[in-house]
This record gives sequence, structure tokens and C-alpha cells, in this order.
Amino acid sequence: MSRQSNRTSDSKKMNSELFTLTYGALVTQLCKDYENDEEVNKQLDKMGYNIGVRLIEDFLARSSVGRCHDFRETADVIAKVAFKMYLGVTPSVTNWSPAGDEFSLILESNPLVDFVELPDNHNNLVYSSLLCGVLRGSLEMVQMAVDVRFAQDTLRGDNVTEIRMKFIKRIEENLPAGDE
Amino acid sequence: MTCLCFLCVSRDYDELSSIMAVCIAVIAKENYPLYIRSVPTQNELKFHYTVHTSLDVVEEKISSVGKALADQRELYLGLLYPTEDYKVYGYVTNSKVKFVIVVDSSNTSLRDNEIRSMFRKLHNSFTDVMCNPFYIPGDPIQSKAFDSMVSAMMVQAC
Repeated sequence: MSRQSNRTSDSKKMNSELFTLTYGALVTQLCKDYENDEEVNKQLDKMGYNIGVRLIEDFLARSSVGRCHDFRETADVIAKVAFKMYLGVTPSVTNWSPAGDEFSLILESNPLVDFVELPDNHNNLVYSSLLCGVLRGSLEMVQMAVDVRFAQDTLRGDNVTEIRMKFIKRIEENLPAGDE
Repeated sequence: MTCLCFLCVSRDYDELSSIMAVCIAVIAKENYPLYIRSVPTQNELKFHYTVHTSLDVVEEKISSVGKALADQRELYLGLLYPTEDYKVYGYVTNSKVKFVIVVDSSNTSLRDNEIRSMFRKLHNSFTDVMCNPFYIPGDPIQSKAFDSMVSAMMVQAC
């Protein structure tokens, strides 16, 4: 896909089944290739990180959002602009810690898991951990080190999907973007 | 990858209150069972036998329709055969997966379009199972969602 020419904010429609099935095929292949679920989670996170460090450029170019002044603003941009743009859903931002360095993104529906039912032998698999990596990678590119994890997951019987994000520190010097 | 359009919102999930099945089976293209469930209080083997017998009728129905018409063939095959106690209905997807529903003959209130909507519901649910990345096509269906959907269509054990 060459989109160099017109990076506008027009949203192209994409078939959600194709997207969901593609991600499903990726995860199941990883499950075949690696022995345990922790290793799969790690790989998904790593892939997400590599997506994130690239995606942030696309995001900044297309969304034309300015610099965020605090973490709350960042949270709003992630929920209302980024998730809307790339996944077509708008999570709500809640559960702020008193210090204002930690919050939750609540997704009513997660397009990645549309048809998925976790089999019993994959208890520790965090199916959507790619998202954690994407968030971590993209924020790292804008000098923010964050910790991202799943607190609730509809695949494990919870009512909603909750992504917990914790601000760790501002990255002062520009680290070279490695592929880990 | 920007906006996702959800195509499957308009699926038909009718309320099926009056009619209930006593046995529901999903049979693979190669005629082995992917899923078969019957009312627990009754003789399970008998239902397996009934469903197995019905496959011949299904084959017959499919092949009786001419090759030219096969394109427009309806998925719903209608009543396959009535026995003394039961009525057996069939449905074949375009990928030759067969659904069989066995209904008690005493249940006279059922209408054809109710059976149709049961099959449609079954088909939608089966599609979801197939789309589950952890389901290996050809394996027996063990999905909990599919199970509970079938339970809802079965007669309550009395």
C-alpha cells in the first residue's frame, strides 16, 4: 500500500472479518511455533512494538494533533483519535490513579476478538497483547515510557476489555529506534 | 486499515419460543459428525441412527436437483422424512456441510418458516465457530457459544 502521496484523514473502509481473521491466523501460528503462552505474549508484544514505532509517524502525519501537555491529554488522544482511526472503536478513559500517572482504557468491544473463543489449554495467552506493544512502541517514540497491560479481557469472561496504562518516565535523550 | 465496518449486525436472531428440537447435528462434507447433541433423557443412539439414515435422503435431495439448477438451489431441504415419533429436517450449506434437526412429531404447532429460522440461526452460529482462529476445520465442534445456542433450541428435559 503506497499512501505516501495523500496522507489525509479520510478513513478507508476495510472488511472487519478479514482483519479479525488475519490477526487470528497470526496468533494461532505463534501458538504453534512457541511452546508456552508467555512466549507467545512476548512475541505479540514485540510485534506490536515494532508496529507502534512506525505507526506513530503515520498517526502524527494524519491526525494533525499537537503536542500533549499532560498525560491526561495523551490518554484522550489515544482513546478518541488513535483507537477511532485504526480500530474504529472509542474506548473510555477511566480509573485514574490519584497521582494521575495511571489510567484504564475500557473497550466495550474489541475488534480483534470477534469470533475468538480461547481453548482451555491456552489459559495464560493474552490474545490481544499486540495492542500493548503498539501503545508502548508509539509512546516511546514521543518520549514517553509507559507500562501497558491487560487488566480485564472479555475472552476470560470479563464484561469489558480493560487496558491499564502506567506512565513511567519521560525519555530525555533520543534513543535510537531499534527493533529490539 | 482505518475503519471497520461491521457487516453482521443484521443477522436474524428470532425468538424461537414455541418449537423445540430433540436432536441437532452438524455433519461434515465427508459425512462424519462434527457435532451431535440430543435431549439427554432419551436414547442417544437412536438419534445417531436417525441422523445417519437421514444423510441418504440428503444426498438424494442434492443430486435430484439438476446440475444447472444447483447454483440457485435453496440451502433448506425441508422435511427429509417423518418417522412415527419424529420429523427430520435438513439443510445443506454451499460447502456441503449438513445440518439436521429432529423434532418431536407430537409438536404439531411448528411451522415451516420457524424451522427455517432455526437453521439460519444454526448456520450463523456455525459460521462464527468456523471463524474462530483456534478451531481447526474438520474437528469436532467444542465451542461453548455454539453449545449454548443449541441448548436454547432444544426441548427442556421433561
